[in-house]
Amino acid sequence: MNALPILIRRELWEHRSLWIAPLVVAGLIVIAAMFPHADIHFDRADVATHKQGAIFALFHSALTIPQFLIISVQLPFYLTDCLYAERKDRSILFWKALPVSDALTVISKFLVAIAIVPLGVYLLTILTDIAATGILAVRFRHSDILRVILRWDTSVWLHTQGIILSALVLAMLWYAPLAAYLLVVSAWAKRNVILWATVPPLVAIILEKIAFGTNYVAVVLGYRLNGIWRPLDLEGRLSGDAATMTVHGTGVGSLAVLENADLWLGLLVAVALIWVTIRIRRHSDDT
Amino acid sequence: MTQIIKANGLTKSYGGVRALDAASFEVETGRIVGLIGPNGAGKTTALKTILGLTHFEGELAVLGRNPYTERDALMREVCFIADVAVMPKWLKVSQALDFVAAVQPRFDRSRAEGFLQKTDIKSKSRVRELSKGMVTQLHLALILAIDARLLVLDEPTLGLDLLFRRQFYDTIVNDYVDKERTILITTHQVEEIENLLTDVIFIQHGRIILSTTVEDLATRFVQLTATSEQAIRARQLQPFYEREVFGRVVLFFEGRPAEELDDYGETRTPTIADLFVAKMQGAPA
Repeated sequence: MNALPILIRRELWEHRSLWIAPLVVAGLIVIAAMFPHADIHFDRADVATHKQGAIFALFHSALTIPQFLIISVQLPFYLTDCLYAERKDRSILFWKALPVSDALTVISKFLVAIAIVPLGVYLLTILTDIAATGILAVRFRHSDILRVILRWDTSVWLHTQGIILSALVLAMLWYAPLAAYLLVVSAWAKRNVILWATVPPLVAIILEKIAFGTNYVAVVLGYRLNGIWRPLDLEGRLSGDAATMTVHGTGVGSLAVLENADLWLGLLVAVALIWVTIRIRRHSDDT
Repeated sequence: MTQIIKANGLTKSYGGVRALDAASFEVETGRIVGLIGPNGAGKTTALKTILGLTHFEGELAVLGRNPYTERDALMREVCFIADVAVMPKWLKVSQALDFVAAVQPRFDRSRAEGFLQKTDIKSKSRVRELSKGMVTQLHLALILAIDARLLVLDEPTLGLDLLFRRQFYDTIVNDYVDKERTILITTHQVEEIENLLTDVIFIQHGRIILSTTVEDLATRFVQLTATSEQAIRARQLQPFYEREVFGRVVLFFEGRPAEELDDYGETRTPTIADLFVAKMQGAPA
């Protein structure tokens, strides 16, 4: 019997905010699309035709930002809580009375954070985008806004969605070791999980600075926290013409990104940390 | 009869303290066994080793398996209720049914729903909205609908009022007990389960100080109530424990036939609760 689907449902039962919050944001975006009364007049000469696609792409990318932003705040809290809460309320004894392995339990929580919620939110952003764009198109059907920003272009839209999806998948892989690290802390800490997750790295940075005068820990952590843009090969381009980049492609869409060694190194670390988490939960009870 | 649990020299230390100290005991199929001991005697530790929750030294086989290394397979045939506070507060009744049905192949959902229909528990309620007694009913409904070979109950009625406690054990006796199922209960409220048990295991300081069937108890132990004068003579027969009650002396003997003691006062088979106290206080610490 494959217990993974029910284990994933169980996570969404317990942590309802993981799907409620993105839904609320999606609802707000759709509502917001119903109310603005702006009417911008463009001089046609202002907007070069070749840039119309870029503006269109940027508009649809921007619509997804609030939802991805909210889960990027939620997921670290989910990860630090998910193996701690069951020990705190002693319900671990209830779960452990059922024939579900510790490995599958830990993996289900990891998958919820690293795949299920991000991909679910991605689908939600598509629905939000279509709903909001549809509403705006009807309301501004006589306006320049429709003609310039909202003029539908299926190929650009699909391309944009493809880029968002591949960037998302890369982010999932890139942040996997950080997610796994939070799981270790969640399974291990007796209390103050968030402090245990954040203070030791800070202490390591400070100690290294004092003892050796170097910043390796800070550099490695900073790279992992922000470095998603480097394997994406976006850094240079971001400073350039953002609009052009969005349309005409980045490293994101190409498989070349997968040659980045740090990406795979991070995944190896993630696997090791997941293994550690499983070992810790194996030995956990209510004490 | 086959053995469900076989422990030999079972030992578990927590930082130098031996919670289990070379404990050896056996539990056979179809028995209802009370694992009885004072607080801190090692009851819960014993259960945790049996349930594969913790590493141990010595030999232990549960349903022929090593519970520590084969825990996942074992839990298909073993159920357990730690005390009632462990059901997660956010869980809905319907979700609890969904979850157990999906992961436990021996779970009979309609049976669990049948149990719940006899209670006031609604399927949309969350655990946090239920009273402690209702949570127990829910937990029991889930567990009793699992066709497990071994049911382990760790202080299952802790903190419940008398009505729920009585109902809890009545339900187990009426709806669960049969020849194939084995139940292991720990409690320090011995009186409550006295009539339920077929076997008792007394544990103190991590050691097994008595392991016997209730039938054998009657031939093995005698409780003698005597006057002070009778007691002086009776003491020569080496009681292992005595106490004074309302000016009479109550003496406990092991391995002496009741007929031999009839001349010294009133004899009877001690209750498990009385025997427990006698054994705990009479045994060398």
